[in-house]
Amino acid sequence: MDFDFSEDQEQLRDAVRKWVDKGYDFERRRAIVNAGGFDRAVYTELAELGLAGLYVSEEHGGMGMGPVEAMIAMEELGRGIVLEPLAQTLIASAVLQTHAPADVQSNWLPRIAGGEAIVVLAHQERGARHHLDRCKAEAKEAGGQWTVSGTKSIVPVGDVADAFIVPALASGQMALFLVERGAAGVKTEGYVTQDGSRAAEVAFSNSPAQLITKNGLTALQEAADIGSACICAEGVGVMDKTLAITAEYMNTRKQFGVVIASFQALRHRLADMKMQLELARSMSYYASLKLKAPETERRQAMARARYQLGTSMRFVGQSAVQLHGGIGVTDEYIVSHYFKKLTQLEMTFGDTLHHLGEVSSRMQDTAGVFA
Amino acid sequence: MDLAFTPEELAFRDEIRTWVHANLPKEISNKVHAAQRLSREDMQRWAKILGKKGWLGYGWPKQFGGPGWTAVQKHLFEEECALAGAPRIVPFGPVMVAPVIMAFGNAEQQQRFLPGIASGEVWWSQGYSEPGSGSDLASVKTRAERQGDKYIVNGQKTWTTLGQYGEWIFCLVRTSTEGKPQTGISFLLVDMKSPGVTVRPIKLLDGECEVNEVWFDNVEVPAENLIGEENKGWTYAKHLLSHERTNIADVNRAKRELERLKRIAKAEGVWEDTRFRDEIAKLEVDIVALEMLVLRVLSAEKSGKNSLDIAGLLKIKGSEIQQRYTELMMQAAGPFALPFIFEAMEAGWQGHFPGGVVANAPLASNYFNMRKTTIYGGSNEVQRNIVSQTVLG
Repeated sequence: MDFDFSEDQEQLRDAVRKWVDKGYDFERRRAIVNAGGFDRAVYTELAELGLAGLYVSEEHGGMGMGPVEAMIAMEELGRGIVLEPLAQTLIASAVLQTHAPADVQSNWLPRIAGGEAIVVLAHQERGARHHLDRCKAEAKEAGGQWTVSGTKSIVPVGDVADAFIVPALASGQMALFLVERGAAGVKTEGYVTQDGSRAAEVAFSNSPAQLITKNGLTALQEAADIGSACICAEGVGVMDKTLAITAEYMNTRKQFGVVIASFQALRHRLADMKMQLELARSMSYYASLKLKAPETERRQAMARARYQLGTSMRFVGQSAVQLHGGIGVTDEYIVSHYFKKLTQLEMTFGDTLHHLGEVSSRMQDTAGVFA
Repeated sequence: MDLAFTPEELAFRDEIRTWVHANLPKEISNKVHAAQRLSREDMQRWAKILGKKGWLGYGWPKQFGGPGWTAVQKHLFEEECALAGAPRIVPFGPVMVAPVIMAFGNAEQQQRFLPGIASGEVWWSQGYSEPGSGSDLASVKTRAERQGDKYIVNGQKTWTTLGQYGEWIFCLVRTSTEGKPQTGISFLLVDMKSPGVTVRPIKLLDGECEVNEVWFDNVEVPAENLIGEENKGWTYAKHLLSHERTNIADVNRAKRELERLKRIAKAEGVWEDTRFRDEIAKLEVDIVALEMLVLRVLSAEKSGKNSLDIAGLLKIKGSEIQQRYTELMMQAAGPFALPFIFEAMEAGWQGHFPGGVVANAPLASNYFNMRKTTIYGGSNEVQRNIVSQTVLG
């Protein structure tokens, strides 16, 4: 039982934090949002920091790091509300590394690690909401060649990514496929989402695909749980910064002739934000440290963590806006962008009510960190 | 970073578990698991069993006869005791006054008072709050006037938990009215058998007399009972308040009570009601999150690397959870929590409880009783003031 970070981990944190502070200020971010929500140059900078290869084994040119390092990186990116989708890269590299055949791995993992290729998960369907097992896309095999047909929604950087990991039904069973964006029959329609990042509707029509695994649901659940751990960590980073921004504002803004930090009603709300942040940070640790646990234990842990994070993110985001007053609801000032990021995170890979349902249906007679 | 305890810590836990199972009397743990009334004898019996083993002062360093456990070991000990259904250790002696005597008392006072605390022979009470001094503790008015080799104490303390059993009481008394209120307070140990001490139980909303008023009418206290220096008592009291950091969250008891809540929900037929079960699920997440928070504090204490100044958060969340599980237990029983039959909370009561489930008898009383947790030990509003100070700088 030890929650200290190693020296290497602290160095990783420092490196990412420095890049965020110096290389990703609010003005650069705003320009990226206005230009469509994604900047390949930024993604390349993340790759140069080694982050794109964080989960990729050294054999394939990555850093071969684990969930704690991923958590650290995501926290720091969260502090800068970075738009470029590192979480997707972590998910894709883990899925390919665990499940894909050797040729797919050697073809894609080195390019993912180097930042040359961006691979994202394209799983969301209109009828599925948060249920991973609901899938209408279909895959067919003919003459040793798979093809995929179907439509996926809100695919992160879907019109920029180089390839997709796509769940589709093969003879009624969910399997995962890799489909290149440039493949025949792939159509994308990009847009900006509420947090300023980029996404797309992606339609596949008999598009050539490579099979990753026929054990699709298990792999997709793993992917979603890696995504959930990323959301927890990123959310902690976003909230940490949100709290700091709010405290600073309260210490400078004057009304009735005094700084508003002197008002107890406001101080108590700030204390409640701190509570929500520290509970969330605790549960983010818990999520990352349980990511490699056996499936039942892992999924229970992820649901618990996401319920806490969802509750915390909503409270911290709403409170930060409220404590700022009018300036909090403007586009010009930074805090509304943190609020929108927290809102979007809460609704990704299952929202808070969904995860509450998961906790509720998984309850045992005993409960605790170790049960 | 690692969630698992070390093999040594796990071996330690097994040792504690085995010992507690062999030595905790069943008739006591049964009462605890059913939230039935504990007598003075029950509490003191367990205290003496622990005392004999040297574990009543489980947080004490070796030089004062304690086991010298690490923060993690202390936590594991608390956890095993709580899950097994041991009564909470009455904290006033071993957890509250003893560390003050160790840190600020002289050798004579240490030899005189610590053995009786360690063995569980002497029952201590706390004399802090007064009718006019609740959250504003520094405003205490109970006077202690030096006359030769003794103090003459006059005034009134209140909310003295289990003071009706008390043999000694540690008090914050005013020895000076000059300067800031905090600077005129002294820390005095008073024999409750002294002439002029009167204890009057206060009946609370659940019908129990858990707290008392303690009156001091020209009580003579030998000057040798003063801890440390005159007018430095506030510093000592703050030391006491800061001494127990994770214990205040009481997360181990919360885990045990969550198990009981689930049993009650099943027995009362609300476990299958999604609307109700989701409320239990929320509480389960709260408890896991609080446990992680506690573990983070323990880890920080273990390595000494990152200090975590979150005692206020532990108090707020821990107390809210205590209130919540008693609230949900009462709600689970619904109307069958309403009959108020005082005797039905005693073990072995033979009467008929309406609805036929005597386990429901204490649920409403427990709920009412737990309202105290967000008020005592620095109200949660005071805690929020402190937390906001750490954020705002």
